[in-house]
Amino acid sequence: MRVTNQSTYEAIKYHLAQRAEDLVKANEIVASGKRINNLSDDPTGLVQVLSLRESLANIDQLGRNVSTARNWLDGGETALSSVKDLITDMKTLAVQMANGTVGASERAAAAAQVEGALEQIVSLGNSQVNGQYIFAGTKTDTKPFEIVRDGSGNPTGVTYSGNDTPFTIKIGKNTTLEAGHDGEAVFGNGSPGGIFQALIDFKNFLEANNVAGIEQAMDDLDTDLDHMISTTSAIGTKGVRLDVKEKILEDLKLTYTERRSQLEDADILAAISDVQSRETAYQAALASSAKVMSMSLVDYL
Amino acid sequence: MSGITLLLNTAKGALMAQQLAMDVVSHNVANVNTPDYSRQVANLQAMRPAAYEGMTIGRGVDVTSVQRNSDAFIENTLQQRQSDLSATSEEELYLKVLEGIFNENSGRSLTGQMADFWNAWNDVANNPSGDAERSALFERGALLCQAFRDISADIDQVHRELNLSLDAGVGTINEITGKIADLNEQIVAMSVTGDANDLLDQRQHLVNQLSEYLDISYYVNPDNTMTVTTGKGNVLVSKAESYSLSFDGNAVNWESSGGGDVDITDTIAGGKMGGWLEMRDTILPEYNDKLNLLSSSLIWEVNNIHAQGVGLEGMTDVTGSYGAANPGAALQSSGLDFQDRITNGGFTFWVYDPAGNVVDLGGSNGSLQVTVDPTTTTVNSLQSTLNGVAGGNITASVTTDGKLEIHGASGYSFAFSNDTSGALSALGLNTFFDGGDAVSMSMNSALAANKNLIAAGHVGAAGEMAAGDNSNALDMAGLQYQDAAGLNDTLDNYLASLEGSIGIKSQSITRTREYNDVILSKLKETRNNISAVSLDEEMTDLIKFQHAYAAAAKLISTADEMYQTLLEVK
Repeated sequence: MRVTNQSTYEAIKYHLAQRAEDLVKANEIVASGKRINNLSDDPTGLVQVLSLRESLANIDQLGRNVSTARNWLDGGETALSSVKDLITDMKTLAVQMANGTVGASERAAAAAQVEGALEQIVSLGNSQVNGQYIFAGTKTDTKPFEIVRDGSGNPTGVTYSGNDTPFTIKIGKNTTLEAGHDGEAVFGNGSPGGIFQALIDFKNFLEANNVAGIEQAMDDLDTDLDHMISTTSAIGTKGVRLDVKEKILEDLKLTYTERRSQLEDADILAAISDVQSRETAYQAALASSAKVMSMSLVDYL
Repeated sequence: MSGITLLLNTAKGALMAQQLAMDVVSHNVANVNTPDYSRQVANLQAMRPAAYEGMTIGRGVDVTSVQRNSDAFIENTLQQRQSDLSATSEEELYLKVLEGIFNENSGRSLTGQMADFWNAWNDVANNPSGDAERSALFERGALLCQAFRDISADIDQVHRELNLSLDAGVGTINEITGKIADLNEQIVAMSVTGDANDLLDQRQHLVNQLSEYLDISYYVNPDNTMTVTTGKGNVLVSKAESYSLSFDGNAVNWESSGGGDVDITDTIAGGKMGGWLEMRDTILPEYNDKLNLLSSSLIWEVNNIHAQGVGLEGMTDVTGSYGAANPGAALQSSGLDFQDRITNGGFTFWVYDPAGNVVDLGGSNGSLQVTVDPTTTTVNSLQSTLNGVAGGNITASVTTDGKLEIHGASGYSFAFSNDTSGALSALGLNTFFDGGDAVSMSMNSALAANKNLIAAGHVGAAGEMAAGDNSNALDMAGLQYQDAAGLNDTLDNYLASLEGSIGIKSQSITRTREYNDVILSKLKETRNNISAVSLDEEMTDLIKFQHAYAAAAKLISTADEMYQTLLEVK
């Protein structure tokens, strides 16, 4: 075959360009640490990577949602456990005051203690998490409980200004969790009229020195305590649900991150050895090209 | 004739022939790097012998012609492949640009922006009355709009660059065809007196250049002129005439021999022009359409959910963000951007007095139920339905650009709920985004002024609102998992497959280009092996002819000696 100078040069140019391109590509993988640097490097893999990135961003968000939900639940649980303690104290007080040996003046003095407990429980009912009332349904900007007093300052009732839709938080694709509470259901259920009415009645009976009434109040407080205990344990159950959800999200995150890394990240060892082998090939091509190009009959004439 | 004279004549002829052959060799050496140069060879032939005393005696050598080593078939194939390669190279180049526009590894990754947007809705759902969350959501929305607009603008920029290239390409083509026509004339003139080898090479070189720009076909006529036509047969060069192309900013026109312009845009299939046109008219619009479909679907879906809800307060003044070209026409043909999506249904309208109490409008719980039938309801009829309600404290009007405007008298506010018709989102009342596609997508300006209008909740059955109502924000956060109208896929998945399809297209074009590259380099090698110059060969020839020249010179000196010998005889 006739070989001409042009074809030698063209071939050298073509092949050197190929070797250089190979080397640059291999180097891009090592330098970026990624196997997919352009949409066209692996379009199918890329679509999966994008979808995994979306999922991971979503999982992170759901993780943040779960911790917000936990804040709300913790806030509710803390408030209600204080409420439970206060009710227990009041029950103890009622047992003491129902005793026949207790005098009217002592009962009148105890009434002030009951009013104090009422105020504390109302204030606990007005608990906030991050500036939001947690026992107001979705009217989170409205103070839900207010004591109504008569002309002489005696409490006659407690009004509820929230609504009956508990505040919800999204903790999964299709799952929401009631993280806030319908205050009415928490404080209004239990004994007829709820804990507030029970305490107001108790106070009135103490002031009236009405032992039978005090005994009635004892029963009501019992019912309310049971109700608080079951409400608190329901919150606890929700907390467990969050734990499970958190675990699932962590596992998913790990799986997705691994999968994404497999698709997207370069196998650095393989990539470096690629660079080395391509470098060798390129150097060999350069060396032999230099020799071939410099050969000419002219040098021997 | 014989004897010493013959010897001298033969030697003289030989000297001249070897010298001419060496001239050809030097011409070859000089053109070793000239593109498309074909090696030339001096054809040496023994001269017709002369009869002498019953014998025939040779009379030496003559150069009959200088021939060009060229293979018409290879040249033609090479030219066609060049055309294919140029087309795919340009497509590859521009697809790489398109890949860069959609680059997912950069900060403006659209996928990342979408994820941020959904997450911002989650944050608002977690704290619906939080100013920080609302502002962050607004910014995320604005950034997402910006990303869509940027990509759209970049695609448009590519479109404009392609038009500039086409314009420049037409100029180059006309220059080349003009030169070919000139060469045709010169070749005819030169063929009368000798070989037009170098001009033929130059013409072939121009044809090869032309096929980089256009798919062409050509043939050489018996008079050695070349006729060049486009792939589909529009004559570009015939004899000494060239017919130019022109570009009017959109179409490529061919000036026919009759003088009229013919639009040949769709018939150009190869060369850079073919690649640019394919990119401009097929590839780019495909992805631009997909991007617009994605953005319009996103705008509609988000607006449709947003319009169902209510912010932290009622609205006091609202102007629809979409205008109807014809507010008196039925909604479905009114010229609203999303007129096709309005269906039979209706929405509920609530009015609140300065104290925040529901003003009785006569319907359930004091609401006003507005029915919408896209075939009969008009923007004007909605205006007259709403105008003057609540004892004249609500006024509605239609702006000159066909937008519905609702205004509450001082202290009076209003809200919407339960839109089953899509009319509110089509009118742009209580919506999140403005615009109808990627180019025009922006945030509703009403939200920019008052972030409390971001609708995280719903109006309750009795017209009440609650600061912690996040039901609409939860619906919005759930939108990312749902199939969007017209996409048959979720918005995120549609985006991912759009980007994937660009990658696949780019990958396949790159493979075609690599294939064409290999084919072309093989063909070039073959062409070069036939036609190009080998210096070693020329050096060998040079020595060959030099020796022959020296020997011929020796013949002359021998003849001279013979004359001397004769003259010395006394």
